[in-house]
Amino acid sequence: MKKNNSMKICLAQTNPKVGDLKKNIENHVEIISGAKVQGAELVVFPELSLTGYFLKDSVYDLGINIHTGESAVLKPIYKTSEDLNISVIAGFVEKDADFNFYNSSFCISKGKLINVHRKVYLPTYGMFEELRYFKPGDGFGVFDMDGVKVSVLTCEDAWHLSSSYIAVNKGAHIIIVNSASPARGITAGLNKFNSINMWEELLSVIAFYYKSYVLYVNRVGFEDGIGFSGGSCIFNPLGEMEKKLDYLEEGIVSTDINLDLLNNERFKTPLIRDENLNLTLKEIESIVNKGTIK
Amino acid sequence: MKKELPKIDEYNFPLIYKHLSNFIKIEVSKARVNSVVLGLSGGIDSAVACYLASNALGKENVTALIMPYESSSAASMDDALIVVKTLGISHYVIDITKQINEYFAKEGNSGDAEGIRIRKGNKMARERMSILYDYSYKLNSLVLGTSNKSELLLGYGTLYGDMASALNPIGDIYKTQIYQLAEHLDIPKNIITKPPSADLWAGQSDEKELGFSYETADGIMYLLIDKMYKPEVAVSLGYDEELVDKIYGKIKKSQYKRRMPLIAKVSERTINIDFRYLRDWA
Repeated sequence: MKKNNSMKICLAQTNPKVGDLKKNIENHVEIISGAKVQGAELVVFPELSLTGYFLKDSVYDLGINIHTGESAVLKPIYKTSEDLNISVIAGFVEKDADFNFYNSSFCISKGKLINVHRKVYLPTYGMFEELRYFKPGDGFGVFDMDGVKVSVLTCEDAWHLSSSYIAVNKGAHIIIVNSASPARGITAGLNKFNSINMWEELLSVIAFYYKSYVLYVNRVGFEDGIGFSGGSCIFNPLGEMEKKLDYLEEGIVSTDINLDLLNNERFKTPLIRDENLNLTLKEIESIVNKGTIK
Repeated sequence: MKKELPKIDEYNFPLIYKHLSNFIKIEVSKARVNSVVLGLSGGIDSAVACYLASNALGKENVTALIMPYESSSAASMDDALIVVKTLGISHYVIDITKQINEYFAKEGNSGDAEGIRIRKGNKMARERMSILYDYSYKLNSLVLGTSNKSELLLGYGTLYGDMASALNPIGDIYKTQIYQLAEHLDIPKNIITKPPSADLWAGQSDEKELGFSYETADGIMYLLIDKMYKPEVAVSLGYDEELVDKIYGKIKKSQYKRRMPLIAKVSERTINIDFRYLRDWA
């Protein structure tokens, strides 16, 4: 278990250069090294942080099979992670042995690959066209990082409340949401884009009702006129925002995830303990099998 | 549910200002240049674009071209010069009267007066575009667009004329919101209060020509476009049916102006059809 039952996590709100793996890897290494100086044990980057987001046909050029020699390109990240004894979550275009492409995020911890999350819900409406290029992932995994249970949800994954439901019931203490969310919609009297407002409400709800830490890491910058809305932030299990980065500028912020506080919240309000998974299962089976609810 | 065009106010202005400044800064640097050139008419749209660019890139990286024709109002020139002076940016005044008149002298003024007037207006807009793109090369600068969302949707602009640019910071902002933005940018009052005009001929008025006010049109377009409501829904919310139909018709009819030219598909991979990359690809 961690010292003081806590873990120091750094959120890196970056502006990836579209299509430039090499440059983005260099930038990641620099940020990881800086975060280590601040005592970080884990650094989290946005969705597709190594490639940029609106990739279109260049998905084909950027795919990496992380289990083969193709992953050599990621060597600087493996090395930094090993040398600095630190964990890194970053986004990349993953290619599998059958040449399917995924919008994926790896977790490399102390020089070893310990998790890959393949984005499940691929938005393909409005300005989004992910399903045109990517294959959906098939689950929401939870993995152990020095005794802390972590689940990664990528952007739209989190908009489906079933994803965080699955993650916490599988044991997640921390839900990490990495995203590349475009800034959109304005409202009179509101000092943020409508899109970020929806995000903050959602993340607060997940944190409070699923009694978890929720870490949101979004990117900034522009791709063909579409700007990303930053605002990376941390919600504690009380649903409170603890820290937040600027909506439009690059930056990093560190936070201590305190498992004693999580313990305290889960004891006082045992929503996860009381969750009736069998009832949910029964209802979902009924929906899936009959298409109706009794 | 929100049914009214959102106002740019003191709460959201700082964010929008920063967002649009970042857009200009980042997209200009991706083109590996530092500066922009834009046509300054003396009207509110180009003034707003100019203020945004000057904030984003610094006054030394913005050049304004003032390109009057003989019928352009003297007040427009004065207002453009006020913007130049206030921001401290460099500018050139290039009169386009000679080349326009020479061309139409050869063409002859045959045909109906209305047709000639429109052709002249289009020719002027394209002449200005041609000069802007020449200066784009000369000054190693990108051409900054100054068309707002209202005129882009209504097709109230000249294809390959004033609609042409490399970057447009205000193309997703309705005219009504441009006024609000201008107030917060502290643009000289006179530019904000005068009636909107393309100033292609003496006394021209956008709203007279269009037959409706921007405020009403923007309210309707916000529902049709931003909210994706069907015209009958806009009518059910209290808008005049005839006007809704007219505006929807204008939007549909001008779609060609907002797209790249059609390319006949012959090969297996065709530009903009299934050869798909960002402009930022490079």
